Amino acid sequence: MGRVSMRVGVLCSRVRVEEKLIFKALRDRGVDGERVDANTITLGLSGILVGYNVILVRCLSHSRALYASKLLGDNGQRTVNDHEVIATCGDKLLTSLALAQHGVPTPRTKVAFTPRAALEAIEQMGYPVVLKPLNGSWGRLLAKINDRDAAETILEHKHTLGGHRHSIFYIQEYIEKPGRDIRSFVVGDKVIAAIYRHAQHWITNTARGGEASACPITSEVERISRAAAEAVGGGVLAVDILEAPDGRLLVSEVNHTPEFRNSIAPTGVDIADRIVDRALEVADMKPGR
Amino acid sequence: MKLGILCSRIRLEEKLIFQALRQQGVGYDRLDERHLELPLQANSLVDHYDVIWCRSISHTRALYALNILNSWGIKMVNSYAVVQTCGDKVLTTMALVRHGVPTPRTVVALGVEAALQTIEEMGYPVVLKPAMGSWGRLLSKVNDRETAEAVLMHKASLGGPVHSVFYIQEYVDKPGRDIRTMVIGDEVVYAMYRRSDHWITNTARGGEALPCPITPDIRELSLAAALAVGGGILAIDLMETADGRLLVNEVNHTPEFHGAMQAVDMDIAGKMAEYVLAQV
Repeated sequence: MGRVSMRVGVLCSRVRVEEKLIFKALRDRGVDGERVDANTITLGLSGILVGYNVILVRCLSHSRALYASKLLGDNGQRTVNDHEVIATCGDKLLTSLALAQHGVPTPRTKVAFTPRAALEAIEQMGYPVVLKPLNGSWGRLLAKINDRDAAETILEHKHTLGGHRHSIFYIQEYIEKPGRDIRSFVVGDKVIAAIYRHAQHWITNTARGGEASACPITSEVERISRAAAEAVGGGVLAVDILEAPDGRLLVSEVNHTPEFRNSIAPTGVDIADRIVDRALEVADMKPGR
Repeated sequence: MKLGILCSRIRLEEKLIFQALRQQGVGYDRLDERHLELPLQANSLVDHYDVIWCRSISHTRALYALNILNSWGIKMVNSYAVVQTCGDKVLTTMALVRHGVPTPRTVVALGVEAALQTIEEMGYPVVLKPAMGSWGRLLSKVNDRETAEAVLMHKASLGGPVHSVFYIQEYVDKPGRDIRTMVIGDEVVYAMYRRSDHWITNTARGGEALPCPITPDIRELSLAAALAVGGGILAIDLMETADGRLLVNEVNHTPEFHGAMQAVDMDIAGKMAEYVLAQV
């Protein structure tokens, strides 16, 4: 293979099941993979992590992923995903904007900057609506708002929480799902796997008890997944897709450092191996791609 | 006779109090609790003041200042014990229940899971309140499970002592108003309706003050509530239930009264001042 000297750094702090699978996939390929501990590294403004052909960014913390990829990428080090993708996908507003700009169907979304304006936007949109922090994973602090009493108190709590995450009010129409949503995995320009996430609860994250089962990669699923991945810049991505009651597919989120442990068994796809494929492909790319 | 008034921000109420004292020819010192030194080993104020009247806007500061002043044996209005009880809705409700004062059904939960279970058992709607806080801030009317989940998650994120104790109360469907009375010593000096289309009736949130007759029921319940928390200068919030009962909702230890002045023709500050001076 001529990859004797290929070294892949996996930037992470906690090694989850996913990272273990990635290390295994690297070993199986005979590629030298090494954990780069985000808790202990320091990065100069004009430095890179020396000795790696590519850095696979697998930080649990979005902020770390965001800044590490910026520093490394600006200094010519290849990362998967690259900084622009991480920046877009780590912020639900930037994600929605990118999707809308590329004509990818997505739920109706509004942004407001004060609780008062947010309340007005919610009342105009009509109940139920969903409020989401601009960043965050695993369905944390999502709020389904069914009436004005709920809107008032959640907005007040968000305002009190404050900070960047909670002072930009991201308001989205609630899509009545058929007890499930779809998560597809896109690597490069290929949709490699898709699962349904079944849940009684409107939040379907498997981290919150959603059950995964295989989802056929229909041409619609494939088309919208690829379009969503392309809209945010492409790479290793998980696309969350909602099935609207009228049969349309809508992209709700795109994840830049997807967990995938619960998606391997139902799909039979070696997702870690495909991620390694992508990392090696990026490492091999001609400079100035 | 030396009077100290513990306060930081001067609201309309404090201005009226200062004016009432001047009219009664009483000298006073303004003591901004933010600037006080409060040595724990030796008192610094006991020789200077016969009584200290607490009008501080900050419950936390008032609580600590009064505790220390109390340890020095200075007479205070309201007392440390009263401020402690009224500043915490859990302690207030406990005191009311202990004294047989009717109050909405209340359950305290100390974790998110227990809170959600309590809410589901109580049935919707319920009200969640921070144990401490004023002006109706961060009250939640929770009409369904999805709201309960979202509110509890946000409260857990807020964290800190105040939001880690879940105070869960049955929602009382009020007739578009509640009743606020002012108790000074053993007298109910006024009652007013707070009319509002919103379930939060605080005049600070737009509730309109209207005159309310002091019926025997209102008088009796107000005095019982004041006694339950230890007495002094207190504002009592009463709710009228659909079946005609009166319930005590909250007791306020440093009441604002500029809203009441729309509905009540009375020198409220003067009445308060008379009471404070009579404590010496």
